[in-house]
Amino acid sequence: MSAENNFAIVARNISKTFQITEDSHNTVKHRLFNLFNPPRAKKIPALKNMSLDVMKGESIGLIGRNGSGKSTLTKLLAGVYKTDTGSIDINGSTMLMNLGVGMSHELTARENIYVSGSVLGLKIKEIDAIFDEIVDFAELRDFIDTKIKFFSSGMVARLGFSIAVNAGADIMFLDEIFAVGDMKFQEKAVQVFESSWIKGKTVVLVSHTMDIIQKYCKRSAYLKKGELVYFGDTNKAVELYLKDNE
Amino acid sequence: MVIRIIKDWIRRSNKLERIWLLAKIEFKLRYYENRLGLLWALIKPISDIFIYYIAFQVILKQGIPNFVSFLFIGLILWNFFIECTSGTVQILSTKKYLYEYTNMNKIEIYLSTILANCIGFSFNLFFFIIYYQFVDKGTLGLSWTALYFIPIFLNIVLIALAFSIILSNIYVLAKDITQIWIVVTGIGFWVSPIVFRLDNFRAALPGADHINPIAGIIINSRNVLLYQKPPEWNLFIFDVIYAVILILIGAFLLNKVGSRASEKL
Repeated sequence: MSAENNFAIVARNISKTFQITEDSHNTVKHRLFNLFNPPRAKKIPALKNMSLDVMKGESIGLIGRNGSGKSTLTKLLAGVYKTDTGSIDINGSTMLMNLGVGMSHELTARENIYVSGSVLGLKIKEIDAIFDEIVDFAELRDFIDTKIKFFSSGMVARLGFSIAVNAGADIMFLDEIFAVGDMKFQEKAVQVFESSWIKGKTVVLVSHTMDIIQKYCKRSAYLKKGELVYFGDTNKAVELYLKDNE
Repeated sequence: MVIRIIKDWIRRSNKLERIWLLAKIEFKLRYYENRLGLLWALIKPISDIFIYYIAFQVILKQGIPNFVSFLFIGLILWNFFIECTSGTVQILSTKKYLYEYTNMNKIEIYLSTILANCIGFSFNLFFFIIYYQFVDKGTLGLSWTALYFIPIFLNIVLIALAFSIILSNIYVLAKDITQIWIVVTGIGFWVSPIVFRLDNFRAALPGADHINPIAGIIINSRNVLLYQKPPEWNLFIFDVIYAVILILIGAFLLNKVGSRASEKL
């Protein structure tokens, strides 16, 4: 039991195929009128049978060219997508982050902070305690009760990032996160990333920048056309990836 | 033992807090975003009562005693059901931001929305009780049978929750379920004993009170609140069975279709 508990994610024989239909059969009318003429579905195998595990507190990298299945794999491991085969055990709350967290544009910054914090597993008292930090980090003190639909895209991204930085889930999936905000904000982001996430949290890092992967991850997975080609030492994974890019 | 486990779960988990937080925000968005605020929740049944009073009491002369109270309780229950169902058909799309980045359980989204509607309903019920008890003349008044309203209301909450889950999952596959449901509820209103005398309703549509689960709930709510009678038990049992079956169908759909909502929507 204790050995099992050391794992944040255990994925066994998982695979994912997307079905893309050419015609729009998304209404009752269409479905009834085309009962004997089913839509032509195109199957796209996004991920082929693979197994991998992530230890608690570990930071692993995911690398591969565009379309190799990195995003699909992060969504499966985060529990956002359902696998077609196999099983995934997720031990804790997860958060998928690419340029921010999910926020409602109908809510104010304050409400979004509370909702996102709560969704990430924090209690209200815990959110109260970090509320000011989130606001100050995002540099949005003057707009705290403004609906975020009136924010610029940069402001929304900063808020999302700030919530993620300060609240954080047990397992974080970071997809090219170092592209948020201006230079100054990026510096701050890297600082926080190094001081709080790398220590103590489980992180799955997706990036095309090999320096970042090599700096933060001991183990990495290299994906190619939906297949897990290699999972292990980061330097070896990067080597394979670079060779493929030649 | 079981209680200890539940207590421990509540203390450590933030699920209940989260459902309450989402419900409060949902409630605020619905009622405080417009100038009339909570008054709006009351204007709707009052304007409906006015229209139906003119049509069925003044023109058609149905002769139902205390017709306003009779309509009031029927309409607020019906409106609650409509808000919980028509209002949530697109919930997996509008609340996508809650589950597309995390492994949050989708059932919490439904529970919080239903809870927000329950808060709205409780205001309506409060005004109904004030009107029935203190304003409407010649009523029997509330008695201990009113306590039966608690299980009856829980019953409609479960039925509304189940329909909400079923419809929003069908929406993932067929977007025009929104329009279809408007037609279904439009018919449903007139095959429910909301504006009609119960004996006329039963004579004209025999069995409709058993086929339509909301009809049973309205009939039993009037029995326990207006007429100091216990519920009609066969109707009550029918409605509980409806709730259980619908919840099971909802759970099946949520597991089959809802779990793929983030890919499909």
